[in-house]
Amino acid sequence: MKEGKIIKVSGPLVVANGMEDANIQDVCHVGTDRLIGEIIEMRGDEASIQVYEETSGIGPGDPVISSGEPLSVELGPGLIASMFDGIQRPLDTFMKLANSDFLVKGVETVALERETEWTFKPTVAVGDQVVAGDIIGEVPETKVISHKIMVPYGVKGTVKSIEEGTFKVEDTVYVLETEDGDKAFNMIQKWPVRRGRPIAEKLNPKEPMMTGQRVVDTFFPVVKGGAAAVPGPFGAGKTVVQHQIAKWGDAEIVIYVGCGERGNEMTDVLNEFPELIDPKTGESIMERTVLIANTSNMPVAAREASIYTGITIAEYFRDMGYSVAIMADSTSRWAEALREMSGRLEEMPGDEGYPAYLGSRIAEYYERAGKAISLGQQGREGSVTAIGAVSPPGGDISEPVTQSTLRIVKVFWGLDATLAQQRHFPSINWLNSYSLYLTEVGDYLNEAVDPSWAAMVQEAMTILQEEANLDEIVRLVGIDSLSEKDRLTLEVAKSIREDYLQQNAFDDVDTFTSREKQFLMLRLILAFRSISLRALDLGAYLDEVLEGTIELRDRIARSKYIPEAEISKIEQIQKDLQVKVEEIIEKGGLQHD
Amino acid sequence: MYKKIGIVGDKDSILPFMALGLEVVAVTNEMEARIGIDRLAKEAYPVIFVTEPVAQMVPETIKRYDNVAIPGIILIPSNQGTLGIGKERIRENVEKAVGQNIL
Ligand SMILES: Nc1ncnc2c1ncn2[C@@H]1O[C@H](COP(=O)(O)OP(=O)(O)O)[C@@H](O)[C@H]1O
Ligand SMILES: [Mg+2]
Repeated sequence: MKEGKIIKVSGPLVVANGMEDANIQDVCHVGTDRLIGEIIEMRGDEASIQVYEETSGIGPGDPVISSGEPLSVELGPGLIASMFDGIQRPLDTFMKLANSDFLVKGVETVALERETEWTFKPTVAVGDQVVAGDIIGEVPETKVISHKIMVPYGVKGTVKSIEEGTFKVEDTVYVLETEDGDKAFNMIQKWPVRRGRPIAEKLNPKEPMMTGQRVVDTFFPVVKGGAAAVPGPFGAGKTVVQHQIAKWGDAEIVIYVGCGERGNEMTDVLNEFPELIDPKTGESIMERTVLIANTSNMPVAAREASIYTGITIAEYFRDMGYSVAIMADSTSRWAEALREMSGRLEEMPGDEGYPAYLGSRIAEYYERAGKAISLGQQGREGSVTAIGAVSPPGGDISEPVTQSTLRIVKVFWGLDATLAQQRHFPSINWLNSYSLYLTEVGDYLNEAVDPSWAAMVQEAMTILQEEANLDEIVRLVGIDSLSEKDRLTLEVAKSIREDYLQQNAFDDVDTFTSREKQFLMLRLILAFRSISLRALDLGAYLDEVLEGTIELRDRIARSKYIPEAEISKIEQIQKDLQVKVEEIIEKGGLQHD
Repeated sequence: MYKKIGIVGDKDSILPFMALGLEVVAVTNEMEARIGIDRLAKEAYPVIFVTEPVAQMVPETIKRYDNVAIPGIILIPSNQGTLGIGKERIRENVEKAVGQNIL
């Protein structure tokens, strides 16, 4: 391909002429260092290229060569447990090659480790007809993930040869007889990151993704194949929420994209994740995790690519039939990268300097989430759940990135600076957050956990809303003006907030709560309400009930620290509570009705 | 609209009020007093007279209705003469309402 010449360098944006052969979205090598960039605009023979590496030291006159290919990722065994940068360069090998923690310019690496030997086991036989999306064999990639080798998009034919054995990713593992003659395939597929991988059929997601986080699972659940946004000001707990879901969510594969946030946060991930055990498999959670890091000390433009790289890998595993969750922290940094490039391109700015296409870019990303049936003769059901942190400046969610995100996602976990200051974590505001999947998930958990699940969730939510109204009255005319029933509502609401919603991510037991334990805990708190209401009806005074149950209420408060293996203890608290309140009623000499 | 009035106290003090059409609840001990007052409150008697000695037995119950509009609990002397606590209550409540002791 013809070589172009740089005519202008402006930060991460390079303009080159003599590029008439190149196309928009082509990957280019820029300058003598061969920095990696992508064409984002073409005007005549002038190409505007966003460069994914530091551009200092290159200048007008330097060469630019287009590769003629769009920015793509390599898909195949070796993805899991790896850490990549925004354009899928493996960070550990990268650090070894460049001998530095920071990206050194122009170091060429390959995404998938070439030397590893994988055990491949065919699942089709010679003579079988296969089409794109069919699984032709499996590689046990980690202890918990079997990597399915699929026929690439656009290919179909008859298996001519296939063998069991150990192979490197570039070795030929099977040959197909196609209309255009015999074709040999290895275990690598390439896919352009900006294009969603095709599916056979989109499905309506219904099954909840359990995260082990009580406020999320109970009140604002997300489904497998759904999308959720976590907006919140600095320090409100966005990163902790994302880490918690990455650690405890019941997705089979997790893609964690650290995008423009503090570098040491990714170091935390690297240190912590390998030591955490997935409760479902008993293995380290790294055995199902892919990390993509583009922290604030890396070039801006690569951030822009990182979320596409992430979601493409997510779709690839979805096609194998897995449930995948992708976390992006934070999409605001990604949007800022978009804004910076747009500014340098001198495009007409929209709201707050963001380009006019911000909303459609955000939508394009989240629309790649979903539950789907894959291509292939036996389509598999898989899902991609997308959870994006948003960092609105000053916590003001009326800004464009949050608003564009909320227009498309169906779950909103609004983190609240005031709650975070009060150390109420996760600081998800229960009054303004929402999940449009609540009904579906309610139906699902009524079946899976207990028929009273959805009604209980509704009751608890109503109590919290009543509390907000009563608080208003108390502010105006004081607590004395409330009836005993209202005062009981306040007590129960406090218990829901403190004993249920608050969850310490750093406590060994509290960090994760199974849905069974969530059910028992919530039922216990609501039982306190119904038992107390009955006592009031029978003539007991609220103060008597509260005084008589001090010790029991303390046990309710500590029920979150009861290990999963001993959750029957929660039922015992409920029985003891019942007995105790009977005593209070009897002591008052009041009659049962 | 006809509003009911209740009265709680020892039998000798309150029986005469029966003739006036009041709902009379005669009590002899703490438990009966409590149940009696709470019952009248629950049945929405807007005014409940309670004799001073009975009120002294169940301060918690009297306090319960301090800050609610209905029922109004009014302490009256028993047939043994006044203990002064009814008046004291009125004084306290007036002070709370207008901000100073005007009685
Ligand atoms: N669930 C939680 N349990 C305990 N502490 C939390 C929790 N969530 C957040 N925190 C505290 O808040 C701090 C800031 O959280 P972080 O996720 O880094 O905020 P953000 O990413 O929004 O800037 C954490 O370092 C931690 O101390
Ligand atoms: Mg953060």
